[in-house]
Amino acid sequence: MRFYLSIISLSLVALVSCSDGNGCYESVDTLMVTSFSVNDSIQIKTLVIKGVDRNALGDTLVNDQDSTLTKRYTLPLSLSADSTGFVLEVNGIKDTLYIRHSMMMIFISENCGFAPNYVISGLRHSAGIDSVKITDKKVNPKSIEKKTNDQNISIYFSSAAHK
Amino acid sequence: MTKILASTLVLLLISSFQGFAQKKAEVWRYEGPRVGIDLSRFLVPYLQKGKRNGWEIQADVPFKGNFFPTFEFGMQWFDDKRDGFRYTNNGTYARLGLDMNIVKFESMKDHDLVFIGARYGYSLFNQETEGIGYTNYWGTLTSSVPRRTMNAHWAELVFGMKGELFSNFFLGWTLRAKFPLSVSNDPNIKPYIIPGLGKTATDVPFDFSIGLYYRFPIFRTKNLPKPIKVGGTKHPGANDESNPNNQGSSGSGGLRNF
Repeated sequence: MRFYLSIISLSLVALVSCSDGNGCYESVDTLMVTSFSVNDSIQIKTLVIKGVDRNALGDTLVNDQDSTLTKRYTLPLSLSADSTGFVLEVNGIKDTLYIRHSMMMIFISENCGFAPNYVISGLRHSAGIDSVKITDKKVNPKSIEKKTNDQNISIYFSSAAHK
Repeated sequence: MTKILASTLVLLLISSFQGFAQKKAEVWRYEGPRVGIDLSRFLVPYLQKGKRNGWEIQADVPFKGNFFPTFEFGMQWFDDKRDGFRYTNNGTYARLGLDMNIVKFESMKDHDLVFIGARYGYSLFNQETEGIGYTNYWGTLTSSVPRRTMNAHWAELVFGMKGELFSNFFLGWTLRAKFPLSVSNDPNIKPYIIPGLGKTATDVPFDFSIGLYYRFPIFRTKNLPKPIKVGGTKHPGANDESNPNNQGSSGSGGLRNF
């Protein structure tokens, strides 16, 4: 009995001492999935996106020179402020979009740490943007896994201003 | 006269030896409460990530020979410093349960157990996180989660062995499957280690403990506990009337204070 007790005890120690993996296999990037379009006939020939008051080299978030009817990109939100502003340049015309949100740091896992989780509470935009539709007000690390036709917000630019 | 005295003395001596030879040696089985410490708590800091320290005491008492109501109590401190945060928690926990021996005692001196059992566990602990760092396009944020008092309830199924190393000293191990019942909510962070429960990353955390125990032999009995019948099976020798160790019909009959 004592022999089996010792052997099993040692085996269990060896088994349980195997520590869990070191890698982070989950997304920690919290990005707002955004679609851009004008209408069914006007193409977006160029799309350049920067943060408001971010004009230094390397501050460009998106610089898309391909002509398509719709575009889809992920945008980061502010960590410290309760709203985030973007300058959206479509076909050479600049517009601004401000997104109001709340943020909470949420634990993902011991290997991945924390990531911000947002809830969009409001919007404000310039005249060149016709409307903004909020499809999913929750922005979290799983947002980037949304399918092609799914996004957090959809921005519709004015066809008159962006011919 | 001298011869008569010598003969009388010899006769007296012979009769006293015969008396000793006829007296039967009594066989007793000693039982009593058992108290031990969990040795695995001292090994954990060297086997797993994070600074995890603690202690646990375990106690059980025999009941009806094969049943052992059990109580376990412990404390744990956990300090996990990572690149993006530092998580700490500390608290106390207790478990109440019952073990059942499933093997036959071979003799009056055999106290080795193989047992199955169940526990109910409760933990009260504090947790906080500091130094949370995150960077994106807009800059770097450093934040923290304030200290919060939490509690957790869970159930356990256990399986283990306890063997008597030498008189009244036992070494044993217990394998535990834990089933969380409820954990109080922290909106920022779900505790990933709970004192007494362990890691919460899996739905059913498994754990083991190795204990060193001492039994206080304060009861004695002439009855060897009968093995528990599982599904009507008959244990060999269970009803063997010729077995000198089977001296009673129940494990608790004949218990006498020492």
